[in-house]
Amino acid sequence: MENGLLGFIVLLFLLGTSLTLLTHQDWRWVLAALGLQYFFAFLLILPSWPLELAAVKLVSGWMSGAVLGLTRLNIIKAPSDAEQRLPTSPAFQVLSAALVILVVIGAAPGLADWTRQLNLNQAWGGLLLMGIGLLQVGLRGSSFRNIIGLLSLLCGFEILYAAVEASLLVAALLGILNLGIAFVGSYLLLSPGLDPLE
Amino acid sequence: MSSAILWIILPGLVGLGLLILRRQGQFPLMAAGLLSLFLAWAAWQLPIDRVLSIGPFSFEIFPSLTIFGRSFTLSDLDRPLLAFIFLFQTLWLFGTLIAKPPRLFVPISLICVCLFVAALSVDPFLYAALLIALAVLLLIPLLSPPGQPAGPGVLRFLIFQIFAVPFILFTGWILTGVEASPGNLNLILRSGLLLLLGFAFLLALFPFHSWIPMLAKESHPYVLGFLLFFLPTVATIFSLSFFDRYAWLRDNGFVFQILTLIGGFTVLLPGLWALAEPHLGRLLGFAAMMGVGFSLLGIGLAGPQGVQIFFALLLPQAMAIWVLTVSLGAVWRKDSSFDLQSLAIFFRSSPLALATLLLSVFSLSGLPLLASFPPRIALFTQLSSSSPWVAIAALVGCLGLAGAGARILFASLPKAEKTRPGWVEEGESLDTGIKSDIADPYVWSFLMLSAIGLLGFGLFSRLFLAGVPSLASMFPLLFP
Repeated sequence: MENGLLGFIVLLFLLGTSLTLLTHQDWRWVLAALGLQYFFAFLLILPSWPLELAAVKLVSGWMSGAVLGLTRLNIIKAPSDAEQRLPTSPAFQVLSAALVILVVIGAAPGLADWTRQLNLNQAWGGLLLMGIGLLQVGLRGSSFRNIIGLLSLLCGFEILYAAVEASLLVAALLGILNLGIAFVGSYLLLSPGLDPLE
Repeated sequence: MSSAILWIILPGLVGLGLLILRRQGQFPLMAAGLLSLFLAWAAWQLPIDRVLSIGPFSFEIFPSLTIFGRSFTLSDLDRPLLAFIFLFQTLWLFGTLIAKPPRLFVPISLICVCLFVAALSVDPFLYAALLIALAVLLLIPLLSPPGQPAGPGVLRFLIFQIFAVPFILFTGWILTGVEASPGNLNLILRSGLLLLLGFAFLLALFPFHSWIPMLAKESHPYVLGFLLFFLPTVATIFSLSFFDRYAWLRDNGFVFQILTLIGGFTVLLPGLWALAEPHLGRLLGFAAMMGVGFSLLGIGLAGPQGVQIFFALLLPQAMAIWVLTVSLGAVWRKDSSFDLQSLAIFFRSSPLALATLLLSVFSLSGLPLLASFPPRIALFTQLSSSSPWVAIAALVGCLGLAGAGARILFASLPKAEKTRPGWVEEGESLDTGIKSDIADPYVWSFLMLSAIGLLGFGLFSRLFLAGVPSLASMFPLLFP
């Protein structure tokens, strides 16, 4: 996805999914946005990696979303964000996201220029996801939201790292890491109802 | 056969198998323990990349295994480290007989160790960050036991460890640029800052240490001890790989000064916190943090001497952390509140566990005659000439931990109760129904092993530290 109109549209969609991840309360919408986010990240990785290698990111991301979705489906009582210490009103979250976007707009051209292997869209997309992921991790106290934030952060990093490193082993390990985080998230969500004798 | 098959894939597969068989009584423990002992022996005795003959059979252990185009290399130089890792894994496994951690501990710890060994052997070495992160993920089910909601400490630990991955991987890419143009100060500064942040997350350096005291209150002390033993050990050895690989980093005096400063700070703060800490689990966390600080001070000395002191500090520290954790596990079985005020009741029920606990805390604080004393004297001698203020800070940190040990000692002594006037004391049995650990053969064996390890290390340090040069030789450019 080189710089151009199509790349800009992908970035706009990525921004939309990121904001949905951050602000939406319904986990179904959040996971749908996560799945879309992985698809747009895949489009941004395509200029750097061959299709079959970039597809690893997409598949591992979707599988992570599926693991979390299946877990949430099996939880009768939804876990609450009881431990949050910061306000979580949509206005506050959108304002926080606006700050992240401002930083990304400022930093991305410099990063693309400095690395020379990244195009501007990749720099924008990667930094945006990392920033929103960081925000999600920092603002929310629940396991589910933290895991979504970590997956978002790693997704952003993978966009940036794909431009500088095209190793099969790294792709595999990052894919396993994504899946591992989803499984850990699933365990943390389910653990209150598990057998304590284990 | 490749060395990676023997020391990485075999324990990993056995660990996976034992995960399924974890409910079969003592079988998983015995199988994992004997395998670890065998692997430690194999690392000690079997040369790599040389043909070995046993009767009519001959075989060779090849140093490399290629997976997805990248190699996992364990050469002859890595054998001492492998022996160290698997010997301590054996101790951690058999320590479960006393500490009784969750059932999953045995298989998961074995898989974690195989991932840690993979992290130290992968080429390019930067991918170690990913393998360490995978080991961290595996430890989460142990740290947050089933049947209770996940605490904030586990989440923070997970988040900070995952944060380390992007920093270290991205720095690796920048460092190749620095190698190409070593005069580019801007590039050096950026890579240095990113690397520092990555390792600050990985090693839980101040202010990213907050998950340690939080986890200490949420998790089983044995699992936490295992984590605080292996994670910093592997991460600091991984950090040495950077110095071994990049000449510009190795020759940069400023980097070593920064490391010394951070090391001094990392010894001072946990030492002072330990002094005021009433929770024994958190004390373990602070003691482990101090160990990281001393490792950084060792590396900060630079050159071959620094690497030697780093490994010399590591061995007694590893032993003392294991002893402290097993003792805490034994105490945890009787009272999980871990409050210093309630320690006096253990004087009767767990006198041996308390004795080893005190021995380990005093050893970690570097008291004379105990294990950490000889290498710390060597470190302080060097530091006193190069960075006297850092030496003083580290000494204050040590005194803080020694003070914490003294507090434990006084808290655990039985208090003489005042008899009320007018009461007639009757002959009363001391047996309150709590079974003393004096009758436990496992605890006696543990006490003997701890005494041999910690006192023997202190009294016959030359004998125990004889293997340090061979450990240091795994970094041929740092320790030529």
